[in-house]
Amino acid sequence: MANEPIVSLRQVTKRVGRKTLIDNLTFEVPQGEIFGFLGPNGAGKTTTIRMMVGLMAISEGEIRIKGKNIKTEFEQAIRHVGAIVENPEMYKFLTGYQNLIHFARMVPGVTKERIDEVIALVKLEDRIHDKVRKYSLGMRQRLGVAQALLHRPSLLILDEPTNGLDPAGIRELRDYLRHLTRTEGITVIVSSHLLSEMELMCDSVAILMHGKLVDVKPIGDFIGGNEQAQTYLIEATPAEQALGEIKAIVGVQGVEMTDEGLLVTAVRDQIPAILAHLMRQDIQIYGVRAVRQSLEDRFLQITGGEQVG
Amino acid sequence: MVNLIRNENMKLYRRWRTWVMVGFMIAAVLVGSFVEWYYDSSDASWRNDVIEQQQDMQAVLSDPELDPESQVYYKDQLAIIDYRLTHDIRPEPGTMWDGINGSASLFILITLFTVIVAGDSLAGEFTAGTIKLLLIRPASRLKILISKYLSMILFGFGLLIILFVVSVLVNGLLYQFKAIDLPLLTVNGEGVVVEKSMVANLWQTYLLNGVSTIIFVTMAFMISSAFRSSAMAIGISIFSLFAGTIVLELLQRYEWSKYLLFANLDLSQYLSGRPYQDGMTLSFSVIVLALYFILFNLVSWLVFTRRDVAA
Repeated sequence: MANEPIVSLRQVTKRVGRKTLIDNLTFEVPQGEIFGFLGPNGAGKTTTIRMMVGLMAISEGEIRIKGKNIKTEFEQAIRHVGAIVENPEMYKFLTGYQNLIHFARMVPGVTKERIDEVIALVKLEDRIHDKVRKYSLGMRQRLGVAQALLHRPSLLILDEPTNGLDPAGIRELRDYLRHLTRTEGITVIVSSHLLSEMELMCDSVAILMHGKLVDVKPIGDFIGGNEQAQTYLIEATPAEQALGEIKAIVGVQGVEMTDEGLLVTAVRDQIPAILAHLMRQDIQIYGVRAVRQSLEDRFLQITGGEQVG
Repeated sequence: MVNLIRNENMKLYRRWRTWVMVGFMIAAVLVGSFVEWYYDSSDASWRNDVIEQQQDMQAVLSDPELDPESQVYYKDQLAIIDYRLTHDIRPEPGTMWDGINGSASLFILITLFTVIVAGDSLAGEFTAGTIKLLLIRPASRLKILISKYLSMILFGFGLLIILFVVSVLVNGLLYQFKAIDLPLLTVNGEGVVVEKSMVANLWQTYLLNGVSTIIFVTMAFMISSAFRSSAMAIGISIFSLFAGTIVLELLQRYEWSKYLLFANLDLSQYLSGRPYQDGMTLSFSVIVLALYFILFNLVSWLVFTRRDVAA
């Protein structure tokens, strides 16, 4: 039971008119993970999430949450889900507390104590009796998380949760999601178009592009680990000499001079050796850092450079 | 289900807009009653007025070219006047009942306000995006739709209670509750004058009006679920509320116009004995209304429960 996937999608397809928005998605989300949906805007992340929570009908295939079919056993399936779909839109003319009461009434068994507990969890005690109209975006986001957690869901779905949050807020959210998976055993699904965010947050990532699943991998594999070449920026003077030296090192897959420094493509394990070599030649090194590839680059790399869709 | 209705009520009554409507309703009854009372010239000497009326009517009736329909009407009126004079029952003008019955015409406000609220209830959730959080709970869309619908009916009924209580109270106070037990006189099928309860008659009027309120609310709901736009739902419903009678007048010469919704909305046409078209009966109208009611609800339900929420 413990290893049974919390969500399983089988050949899920969504068509609207003649357009196929989601094409034959099949994958499973294991329990207790933070699972990421990654893809550029328009890849079908939100559409997939909307189908998972029953907001959109599934054209073909089926989605099961804890073994319950979201289409035919909606009420039993959705009971385990807490979600924010896109923006956390709450009733602005009600207070935060009234909003929580509203959603608590819709699920059996949510007590007043639980409401207070959730409020404390998202640290909204001071402002909970203010109207939501007066909340900042960050507070609305937290209230959104609160309403999603009220009924102790086993699965938390957050669509673009970091949209509009400042870096501190993003960090807080990230720590908080970690905390939830560790202590309460909740599975979290987040979607994002930002690779960097996913790297920090997720255990596994499913990559969507043009409505198709490109890959599902643990984040470690995706980032490349130690065996896969990455690009590093090395600032060194004299640059010309460094360029020549690096080119000569066996195993370096590429080096290129830019205004910022030298872009070196190499396996991570090689970096100390490269630096040691440069230093032996009395080349001054001012900085070394891994360069994050843009998402598009990463997609091209994963899809072998060919266009999907 | 009870919880869902409580939710809808919370969302309704926690908005100042709702209380503005309630306040407006009360103010309209107060002002209307007061103005009517202020300009009410009838006094205790109602007998003289009635006798004057009697003479006028007898004069009209003596005209040999009067059509039979009017003859019946004047004969009935004279019978009522005779009854008044012999049993010492005064007519309504100059009593609290005149004001109360007059206030019943403010029922249109109930329809108007309930339609506004109903048009926004569903569409407003789509506009605000809250529909997403509402629909991802273990409550079927049908239950949510029904709870919204019921809360609207409750709101309309609440306004009706306010209308009744406020109009009875204010007119009672203005006329010191005189003639509170005044009966309503009507002529029954056999040409005999009978006494009826004023309150019962008032509620009969209310309920007949209530039929059209429910139909308009249902219509606003349907538009709101189909187009997901409050403005459109409220606009179209209110437009048909007011334009309905005009359309009917234009189409009266076509026989098929009796199947139109508006031709059947006013059931009091059968009480006065003057239906919109000859041959229309109460049961005909009730069936037509029921069909429209079922159609509207079916459309709301099908559209609301099947369509994707992409907002």
